[in-house]
Amino acid sequence: ISTIYIQFSCNLDPLPMHGPELGVQADDIDAPEMEQEPKQEVLENKDVVVQRVHIDGLGRTKEDLLTYEISDVFQAKNLIDVMRKSHEARQKLLRLGIFRKVEVVIDTSRGEDALPNGLDVTFEVTELRRMTGSYNTMVGNNEGSMVLGLKLPNVLGRAEKLTFQFSYGTKETSYGLSVFKPQPGNFERNITLNAYKVTGQFPWSSLRETDRGISAELSFPVWKTSQTLKWEGVWRELGCLARTASFSIREESGHSLKSSLSHAMVIDTRNSSILPRKGGLLKIHQELAGYTGGDASFLKEDFEIQLNKTLFWDSVLSASLWGGLLLPIGDKPTSIADRFYLGGPTSMGPQSEGDYLGGEAYWAGGLHLYTPLPFRPGMGGFGDLFRTHFFLNAGNLCNLNYGEGPQAHLKKLAECIRWSYGLGIVLRLGNIARLELNYCIPMGVQSGDRICDGVQFGAGIRFL
Amino acid sequence: MSLAAEAFMSQMAAAEPWPENATLYQPLKEDQILLSDCASSLAVQAYLRMCGLPVQVVYRANAEYMSPSGKIPFIHVGNQVVSELGPIVQFTKAKGHSLSDGLDDVQRAEMKAYMELVNNMLLTAELYIQWCDDSTATEISRPRYSSPYSWPLNKILAYQKQWEVRRKMNAIGWGGKTLEQVYEDVSQCCQALSQRLGTQSYFFNKQPTELDALVFGHLFTILTTRLTSTELAERIKSYSNLLSFCRRIEQTYFEDKSS
Repeated sequence: ISTIYIQFSCNLDPLPMHGPELGVQADDIDAPEMEQEPKQEVLENKDVVVQRVHIDGLGRTKEDLLTYEISDVFQAKNLIDVMRKSHEARQKLLRLGIFRKVEVVIDTSRGEDALPNGLDVTFEVTELRRMTGSYNTMVGNNEGSMVLGLKLPNVLGRAEKLTFQFSYGTKETSYGLSVFKPQPGNFERNITLNAYKVTGQFPWSSLRETDRGISAELSFPVWKTSQTLKWEGVWRELGCLARTASFSIREESGHSLKSSLSHAMVIDTRNSSILPRKGGLLKIHQELAGYTGGDASFLKEDFEIQLNKTLFWDSVLSASLWGGLLLPIGDKPTSIADRFYLGGPTSMGPQSEGDYLGGEAYWAGGLHLYTPLPFRPGMGGFGDLFRTHFFLNAGNLCNLNYGEGPQAHLKKLAECIRWSYGLGIVLRLGNIARLELNYCIPMGVQSGDRICDGVQFGAGIRFL
Repeated sequence: MSLAAEAFMSQMAAAEPWPENATLYQPLKEDQILLSDCASSLAVQAYLRMCGLPVQVVYRANAEYMSPSGKIPFIHVGNQVVSELGPIVQFTKAKGHSLSDGLDDVQRAEMKAYMELVNNMLLTAELYIQWCDDSTATEISRPRYSSPYSWPLNKILAYQKQWEVRRKMNAIGWGGKTLEQVYEDVSQCCQALSQRLGTQSYFFNKQPTELDALVFGHLFTILTTRLTSTELAERIKSYSNLLSFCRRIEQTYFEDKSS
């Protein structure tokens, strides 16, 4: 198929569409609104046939991978449809993660077999570089480290991705290698292989944990949901962080091996994962360990629900609920590495001599109201990244007592609820994370919980 | 231990009397524990029995990792955790129990010297035989050490431990020794102990001291542990006064325990 360009004889310029810039968020772009012009009515009624769809600028990417993404464009019957389908195809090409920029050029057909109403659509792409590296040094917490990152997008031409990260520090080293391969034509069906070693320190439990593991993950969509099946094998090493660690933590020291199969289902209709304005999220995850080898043997369930609704005056009401349950199988007690934690540095739940041991069941709920900053400073620009927010959080974390049965567990989780409320400012960081500065008033605290009232600062990806 | 740590420990320990629920932790007796750890653990148990301090023995697969110094055994008394014979002796002394109070300075120095001899010779020889002798390592040490864990973790931990011990042996100069030389060293050590013991009941006067506990722990364990060869036990058996010494302590302090 050869490409021929004919200049439009009317004033309608081909729409230039640019690839992802850091400031522009993909989920903020809706399909381009068509401005109604008198000339457009003529074009809308005009039947067109897309004769050629061509991709320019391919280097190592294999064409057969891309034919699936652009095939829909051939279905368009009129010009507006062509524009819409081209935009969708462009989004599809961008989500492969192998192009830095994708531009669309729609032109009338030329050449011998050109029909009078034929159109040629060309996607002009710029591939990402073969390898990108990054090098950072980090200093903090009496430790310094150097972090080396390596990313190879599109290794063999079919959107395979290889990432490697290595962190060498004065105290600990950690690394991770990840290989990702999507099915050509079906990007949402993909397989990821990981190998990693990570170290974590948990001062609120006086615990240090080193995990070395490998995992294989298969993702595929089923109707509107995204399903993931994963096998993971982890060698966990636990140790005391200080000589003053409680004996319960000391008893957990040592090595264990976890080999588990897990399944997760996600339905995400939100428009953004960081500060969504509408839509909901449902995540259900279960993990079964012990039947494919290893020492750890348990069944773990957890879920996350979030609903968002935009109210008057550009404010958003957001409600979320999390919960989880850990059931050991067999007569060995659960390991602290598998239990749930709630609260982080402001921890709560079962504890011994000042160290938090984690719990086997928990729930947590939050209600948030996000509004633009008062008086909307910097509206339309930087100011839009900030939101004020009012929140109400509640939750509980406990251990299960197996003699009592499910009624007793529910009762135990329902009494002694911890809750708190407050307000603060949220800053959205790109599409990845958010910073929060809050003033928090804890209520309903149980004995043994650590309280931090007043001003709190946090940064993260997953917020209640 | 440093002076400051010793002073601190004395102060902490002196505060409370010996509780009823003191526990001693060691690896699993039937399947897991190795010769050197068993000897060290028995030495501490003998010492505590000699002092008349009750202690309960608890078996845990991860005892080595629970220990603050990484060595077996360790005791959990009140809310303090102390590992190895030396620090445990200090700890009990701070609580007012001691076996070596009746010794004068010369004797105390002699006692310390002999304890060093046992640690440098007998204990090192036990470690050498367990981990540096290929047949013992393959047939006994690695399978036992890794028995609580599942594959492939068991292989990883066993080889990691073996590599660590061999590195330590090389560092102290035992890497180049042959098994015969190690047996010779053990014989010489036993000869020195036998000469010091002579016809006495215990090493110093009529009362046992921590040296007696340490020697008993090691010799008794070697005599009663099955290894790939009986050579080590034979070397000890050739010193009859050491044999009767072990039997005497076993009967006096462990008669309720089945041997």
